[in-house]
Amino acid sequence: MNQEISEIYTEEFFVNMGPQHPSTHGVLRLLLKMDGEVVLDMVPHVGYLHRSMEKIAENRTYYQYIPYTDRIDYVSAMFCNQAFCMAMEKLANVPVPERAEYIRIIMVELNRIASHLIWLGTFSLDLGAITPFLYCFREREKILDLFEMVCGQRMTFNYMRVGGVSRDITPEFVPMTKEFVNYFLPRVDEYEDILTQNPIFLSRTKGVGLLDQKTAIENGVTGPSLRGTGLKWDLRKDEPYSVYDKFNFDIPTGENSDVWDRYMVRIQEMRESAKIVQQALEKIPEGPIKTKTAAVFKPPAGEVYVRIEAPRGEMGFYIVSDGSPKPYRVKIRTGSFSNLTVLPIISRGWKIADLVAIFGSLDVVLPEVDR
Amino acid sequence: MTSEEIKKIVTEKFPDKLKEAKILGFEPSFIVEKGTVLEVCRFVKESKELSFDLLSCMSGADYPDRFEMVYLLFSFSRKHKMSLKVQLPKDNPEVESATAVWKGADWYEREIAELLGIKFKNHPDLRPLLLPEDWNEGYPLRKDWTGKDFIKMPDVK
Repeated sequence: MNQEISEIYTEEFFVNMGPQHPSTHGVLRLLLKMDGEVVLDMVPHVGYLHRSMEKIAENRTYYQYIPYTDRIDYVSAMFCNQAFCMAMEKLANVPVPERAEYIRIIMVELNRIASHLIWLGTFSLDLGAITPFLYCFREREKILDLFEMVCGQRMTFNYMRVGGVSRDITPEFVPMTKEFVNYFLPRVDEYEDILTQNPIFLSRTKGVGLLDQKTAIENGVTGPSLRGTGLKWDLRKDEPYSVYDKFNFDIPTGENSDVWDRYMVRIQEMRESAKIVQQALEKIPEGPIKTKTAAVFKPPAGEVYVRIEAPRGEMGFYIVSDGSPKPYRVKIRTGSFSNLTVLPIISRGWKIADLVAIFGSLDVVLPEVDR
Repeated sequence: MTSEEIKKIVTEKFPDKLKEAKILGFEPSFIVEKGTVLEVCRFVKESKELSFDLLSCMSGADYPDRFEMVYLLFSFSRKHKMSLKVQLPKDNPEVESATAVWKGADWYEREIAELLGIKFKNHPDLRPLLLPEDWNEGYPLRKDWTGKDFIKMPDVK
């Protein structure tokens, strides 16, 4: 008997998590070096969704590329539309009518709510709570109905244009959106009732996956994950683009930079977004929705980099134009790409079940990483 | 700090090693000599007045006569921005890796190395990032690249 026990030994081993795994939110493969249940190290493998977005851009005209931007991050396609259109507008100095700016803000903020709802649903599902997932998709459905009413699409909108938006909001849109916001705000309290102080949820998230501010900045982490470390930084407030300077809203931040803080930041962001939508609906002016632009868009030769605050952090377009109707080079900077690089750093030493929570709290969407 | 003040500090520190460039939205912008790029990067990050702590984005492009690397920088503490460019020769483009200054440069450089074929000296781990493991059709983001399924769209006037 004693001899048998002495033959038992421990050793490190490798586990392959993904690419097809329910909590890798897309197709991500993590090569984990494990000691029992503890993650010692990991190597993320990406690229399963690489669709050569940047090469395609060089082979299309500027207008033709707008629908492609929807596919960069299909969970928050309005933001990709907006960032690309803003870059073109800056390059060619195209003004945007005020009504169009208001419509854009209503759309992107609704999209931010929809995107955070997907995150909240799948994140709670990763932690074993199924009810919030159903609740979130119930509310998201209503947002998608609103989008469908305005632009005919539910996920890939192709809604924004250089100098404005493709069509005006319908008369029913305003009362329906108001109704939605009034319906939605109490629902956020409902999610919080289920999760925020739930003992099981707390033990899974409090103090888990600490991401300190220095590591975050060094690795280029932006968005809610950065705000979770306590840095009050939001491009909407600190570098106001569009007409964000006309709205009243707060920037929620965390204190302990753990999973729970990142969760809390996003929950509060949904409320702030709803507030912005409410104000925009009150103030929306009458007027044109688009500046007239040439049928073939030829910006002057030059370079531009424009960034906006997307739900997953800074989204930027770096465009080089040579004066022809096709862009010479397009580089897409996305929040998830940089946010994913910290995953190996912050999940070292945690159990594999915590890894799922940590990864969920970063809110990575894989098509945005691979492009 | 305004764009003029940043320009003054940087040009005083590196006279005759910088040329001005133009990137709308991320001014001031400089073209840095290839050999001094790491030195300039380190200076703009570590200098107290500038402290560019975020590498916001990094990219490369293929031009008819050169390759160009672009570094878009931002400072959280000072709330200002600037951009740097490096021009590389067509044959054997090679540049010092910026990972020694900003860790966030890691994946950007892997992507550029794979898609544009620019080599990064002293990069910790220059494995391919996005393309399939058995990819052997060259560097797709180069302008002269053609693949077997690549169809060039007709020109628009």
